Amino acid sequence: MTTPTAARPATPETLPRAFVGPGLDPARARGNGFADTRRAFLTATRLGWLLEANWTDPVLFFIYSIAKPLASVLILVFMVNVISGGGSTGLRAFVVVGSSLWSFVFSGVAGLGWAILDDRERYRMLRYVFVSPSDFVVVILGRGVARVAVGLAGAIISLAVGIAFLGVDFDPGRIDWPVLAVAMVLGLWAVIAIGVLIAAVCIQTRQESWQYPEAVAGALFLVSGAVFPLSVLPPFAQAVGLISPLSWWMEGVRRALLPHAPSAIGGTTSLFHDLTGAVEPSAATVLLALSATGVLVTLAATLAFRRSERRAKDLGLIDRTTGS
Amino acid sequence: MSSVYVNRPTASPQAAAAWDTRRQLLTNVRGIGGRAYPRVSGILRERSWLFFEILLPFMTTSGFVFVYRALQAPPAYIGFVVLGGAMTAFWLNVMWMMAAQLYWEKDQGNLELYFTAPVSMMSILLGMAVGGMAMSFARAIVVLAIGAIVYGVQFQIEQWALLLAVFALTLAALYGLGMVLASLFLLWGREAWHLTQLTVEPIYFVSGLNFPVGRLGALGALAIGTIPLAVGLDAMRQLAFVNAPGLGGTPSPGIEAGILVVMTVIFIGVARWMLTRLEMLARREGKLTMRWG
Repeated sequence: MTTPTAARPATPETLPRAFVGPGLDPARARGNGFADTRRAFLTATRLGWLLEANWTDPVLFFIYSIAKPLASVLILVFMVNVISGGGSTGLRAFVVVGSSLWSFVFSGVAGLGWAILDDRERYRMLRYVFVSPSDFVVVILGRGVARVAVGLAGAIISLAVGIAFLGVDFDPGRIDWPVLAVAMVLGLWAVIAIGVLIAAVCIQTRQESWQYPEAVAGALFLVSGAVFPLSVLPPFAQAVGLISPLSWWMEGVRRALLPHAPSAIGGTTSLFHDLTGAVEPSAATVLLALSATGVLVTLAATLAFRRSERRAKDLGLIDRTTGS
Repeated sequence: MSSVYVNRPTASPQAAAAWDTRRQLLTNVRGIGGRAYPRVSGILRERSWLFFEILLPFMTTSGFVFVYRALQAPPAYIGFVVLGGAMTAFWLNVMWMMAAQLYWEKDQGNLELYFTAPVSMMSILLGMAVGGMAMSFARAIVVLAIGAIVYGVQFQIEQWALLLAVFALTLAALYGLGMVLASLFLLWGREAWHLTQLTVEPIYFVSGLNFPVGRLGALGALAIGTIPLAVGLDAMRQLAFVNAPGLGGTPSPGIEAGILVVMTVIFIGVARWMLTRLEMLARREGKLTMRWG
């Protein structure tokens, strides 16, 4: 019996001399590292944008892009108005900012999962994308960029409508730009990480999982202080909210845009108050907590996606089409 | 009684194609069952839907409950939200698993089989509805039950028969609308996906999913006259929460039941006409049913 030896990867250097002739470009076999990753990302982004936007004329696309977030804002504003009789301007501002941002969360979370489902179930290209030299997760991230961009545009327009027509008390001169910039970058990162997590789930599920991203976003809506303070929730739900980066992101953006808005995390009856003794978190605490929870979610997403990818390869799920 | 599915020699192909009423009826019933089966068996095979399509949507509904709690709204409003949350299950089922379905069936290569099968397209769509309802009913019941237990929603019902009739009529009108949209979305092709997206939050808003639709004024009146979800939900709220505050400015449940009857007749009539036209186009031109690309 011979002793098995460790398999060496077949690189141009390890190939027999006969194979390394003028026809083989070693650079092609090795790839070009970051340049290839960038090219794959940009190509996937362009493809995502074309899929997202070229089904109709620009006017209808604009209406489509803002109708969903605007309707979400209006639902909540009407709920507030029905109860408060239109007198609660502070709460209305709180709700408008939270629900506008939430449309962005939904786009970011759903975009990546839908990219998987689109490519596997509708276009049936996932198998080819998977065996291409590009990193799978890079392609999926690129595919999701278009929806994130549309979500961001929808959020900004909803916010603008809220300020212009829904009586949100907003002073551009009082925006805390540094906090806003840092919170937006970290929040975007966290939203995409959650999107990768959902994509990992969608790789495993059947065609009818189109609604799964929305369901996850809806569940996070409950514990993220988007439209009501966390202090009205039971303590265990508040605890879940405190480890969600979305809660801290909302708090950071709201604090930057509306300095006098009530805190969604703090309050004298909140778990945050019980744990820290502070009535509400400072801007530094918000950004620190956002960074820490963002790192946690990113790690979880990376592990989940890699594991899901391996399992999908083992079980042959990449080229599976389903339907009922 | 002898089976209609036994092969019997006939004098000519024309005679073989001339089915009696009983045979047509039984074949259509089998078509309904056949199309419902993969949906029911699918939900048994893929258990993740229990978590993603029942538990998580309930959390979304809970989010709106807590908005009203934060506003210290009257308890009836929490009931309005819970009932709205239950009815979203049917709306989403109609839009995602019925209206957009023919377009997806075309993508999957099943549509041409449907058009060549000796059953009505309405039976196929009804089968989709029946199969999808299994999931929607489960979700609606869970939302109502947990809403009653966790949030203490108290239903005050005086006219059970009318409430059940309104519920049944709402489903009939909703699924009739789903059949019409299925035909339209098939004709519109790729736009179907995006149009389905457009029918969620905007329709929730104009239907008063989380607040009494009467508060929307003229827009609410328009919704009551055109959207089954709006009129059905308002009638059910009036019947399930008798004398609740905020439910004014809309027709009585009896009149709204009449509106639902009219909607059902119109939607099913239009769906029948459109599906017949589609079938004719599919047979004559052969392009409608072909998967592209």
